[in-house]
Amino acid sequence: MKKLTLAAAALCVALGGTVARAQDSGALLDLLVKKRLITDQEAEEVRTELVKESTSTAAGKWKLSTPITEIELYGDARLRYEYRGGRLPDNYKFGQDNTNDWYERHRERYRLRVGLRGTLADDWFFGLRLETSANSRSTNVTFGGESSGGPFAKGDDGIFVGQAYFGYTGLPDFKFTGGRMPNPLINTSMVWDDDINPEGLAEQWKHTFTFNLGGGGGEAVQSYSKGGYSKEGKGVVAAQAAEPFKLKLDVFANFAQFVYDDENPENPIGPNPTTTANGSTQKIPTSDAFMLAWQVGARLTFPNSVYVQLAPTLYNYTGNGDTFNVHFQGDPGGNQTGINSLLVFDMPAEIGWKLWDLPMRVFGDFAVNFEADDRAAAAGHAGSGGSRYAYEIGLGVGQLKAKNDWEVRAWWQHSEQFSLDPNLVDSDIFDSRVNIQGVAVKAGYMLADAISLNLTYSYGWRTNGNFGTGGIGDLPINPVDQYQLFQADMSVRF
Amino acid sequence: MKIKYLAVTLGLLASTLSHANADRLVIKGSDTLGAKLVPQLAEQFKAQHPGTTFDIAAEGSTTGIAAIIDGTAEIGMSSRRAKTSEVGTAAAKGKHMKPTIVAFDGIAVIVNSGSPIKSLTKKQVEQIFTGDVTDWSAVGGSGGKISVYTRNTSSGTYSDFKELAMKKRDYAGGSQKMAGNEQIAAEVGKNPNGVGYVGMAYTKAGGVKAMPIDGAVPSTKSVQAHTYPYWRPTFYYTNGDPSGLAKDFVDFTVGPGGQRIVAQVGFVPIK
Repeated sequence: MKKLTLAAAALCVALGGTVARAQDSGALLDLLVKKRLITDQEAEEVRTELVKESTSTAAGKWKLSTPITEIELYGDARLRYEYRGGRLPDNYKFGQDNTNDWYERHRERYRLRVGLRGTLADDWFFGLRLETSANSRSTNVTFGGESSGGPFAKGDDGIFVGQAYFGYTGLPDFKFTGGRMPNPLINTSMVWDDDINPEGLAEQWKHTFTFNLGGGGGEAVQSYSKGGYSKEGKGVVAAQAAEPFKLKLDVFANFAQFVYDDENPENPIGPNPTTTANGSTQKIPTSDAFMLAWQVGARLTFPNSVYVQLAPTLYNYTGNGDTFNVHFQGDPGGNQTGINSLLVFDMPAEIGWKLWDLPMRVFGDFAVNFEADDRAAAAGHAGSGGSRYAYEIGLGVGQLKAKNDWEVRAWWQHSEQFSLDPNLVDSDIFDSRVNIQGVAVKAGYMLADAISLNLTYSYGWRTNGNFGTGGIGDLPINPVDQYQLFQADMSVRF
Repeated sequence: MKIKYLAVTLGLLASTLSHANADRLVIKGSDTLGAKLVPQLAEQFKAQHPGTTFDIAAEGSTTGIAAIIDGTAEIGMSSRRAKTSEVGTAAAKGKHMKPTIVAFDGIAVIVNSGSPIKSLTKKQVEQIFTGDVTDWSAVGGSGGKISVYTRNTSSGTYSDFKELAMKKRDYAGGSQKMAGNEQIAAEVGKNPNGVGYVGMAYTKAGGVKAMPIDGAVPSTKSVQAHTYPYWRPTFYYTNGDPSGLAKDFVDFTVGPGGQRIVAQVGFVPIK
């Protein structure tokens, strides 16, 4: 009995108490039996006792189905104050005259995102995230935002499925994902709002080459990683643990087929519908809209944390769906969301280094719509297809990972009216619009490992005064001749 | 006077009932233990304890553990450990699942005696029973669609084998679930492409042969040394330390007399 008590005590110490560790004790008990320190019978009694004790704890009451091999509960909550203002142009060419008249909003908001992600047996993985707000580009809820239900009403405090996906990583270097997923593409906020979780399929491949350059010429060593779910939600397959090397080259390819919009029905009774939304009669297409993306890129990492990353991407659209099937115009009163004539080449790029252990990076993005001529003509601006470019360039200093970390990012961003899909661009920096250019600054500080303070400011103005500012933002004005945003966030991440 | 007579009558009746319950032992659970071993132990025990009767129901380990939780048996036979949920449920009902190892067992993988297969690896066993491999040619055989026979889901052997041999993966979709070890041995004995698993006590059935796994043959020696990969303890579960007739029977089972029967039946003695 003394031996048994000692064995149990030893197990408790070794395993940090019995809480949720009963299942882990098998190997140690087996070893004690093998060493003849305890008998099989004594091991069974200890095992049963540990299981019994674990079932009385909160952790012991959780039960996971057998195929789950790893699971992580994660999420974040955020409080935000926001000022957002837009000014109509003076002597407005579309018939208004609002001299220095600003439309302004002050909002106090919150958001909550709670997720589960993990791995399953046989190289499968899954993820589920619940979010406040049904908006694809925002998870925010405005305090007191309801127009009915009295003060503190709950009308807009909903919970929605933000992510629901699963995938397979059983083939070396490959990762396949299906569902409503974190964006698998490397991108910037100029092209993609980071709240968007696209729906469809994604195939990712990544291979790492390491080169030992010291003496006797270069030697390439190939390695691969079997990334599961990405804890950071990054677009690339998780990186292999670093081996000693002089040069590392990650080559990756990300392909995506997103269901952009479902048409219902594809074949209506009678003739296909038409619209005069843009003035002339336009036949409305009746087909599902798919967004296709091809991204092939590389990240070259030198010693001392210096790296260069390029991720050229081509976006194409097929079909129009039933929500985005009217030609984009972008001017006041016209369509703001059409996805016609978009064949966009995008090149996000980043160069990083460390200066006295301080991470720094220059980042940028360049995009061009090869079908801007057609998009401009369909918008009633034939000959304006030159407004096809968007670009940004910025500098980042610092990082936000642990308590007392800080980061500052500042960049210049320029987008033209027919350059990008206005349904995807960031909803904050320039209010979900194209044809705006300006500056943005973000600064953050980690109060604790899980608590951060962030400030965001942006100031923009219309790129081309002959056009509206295409897109539907929070500000119900078009064009937005000048724009200002200020956000102060406090976030808890867990 | 009448009251006194009634009291004496009731006293005698109570004494009679009490005596009857004391000599009757209800045992439920594992088919692996309850089909052969425990009945033979019971017969020997009855020979030494005249007047004792047994009520043995061998319908799977799950039923044995449930019987202890519900209080419908004094001993629950189990060829697997009680699950966390079962231990938790018992604790919630004020019961304490007390395991007593009564024998070791090796779960033997059997094939038809006419099969050219001479041995299997742990990986091959996993592939066969999960359906990753469906033809004997993939594991060194001469070809033919593999017929997988397993126990039914209430069997402790069913879940033990998943844990020991299949990394907890699901059985192949086309696997056929049988009620007991004898049925599996019988089916594999008739089917040249059959494969199944049985307790070691059943490997001597006609028409089957047990496969060495990674070179280890299921034997008394390899199971006692825990070198055969699919070894397992088998249990009596009681509510706390057994008492009365249950204690006598448990002591008999783990004692020299009981362990002789354990060996005779084909299980592996605990020492």
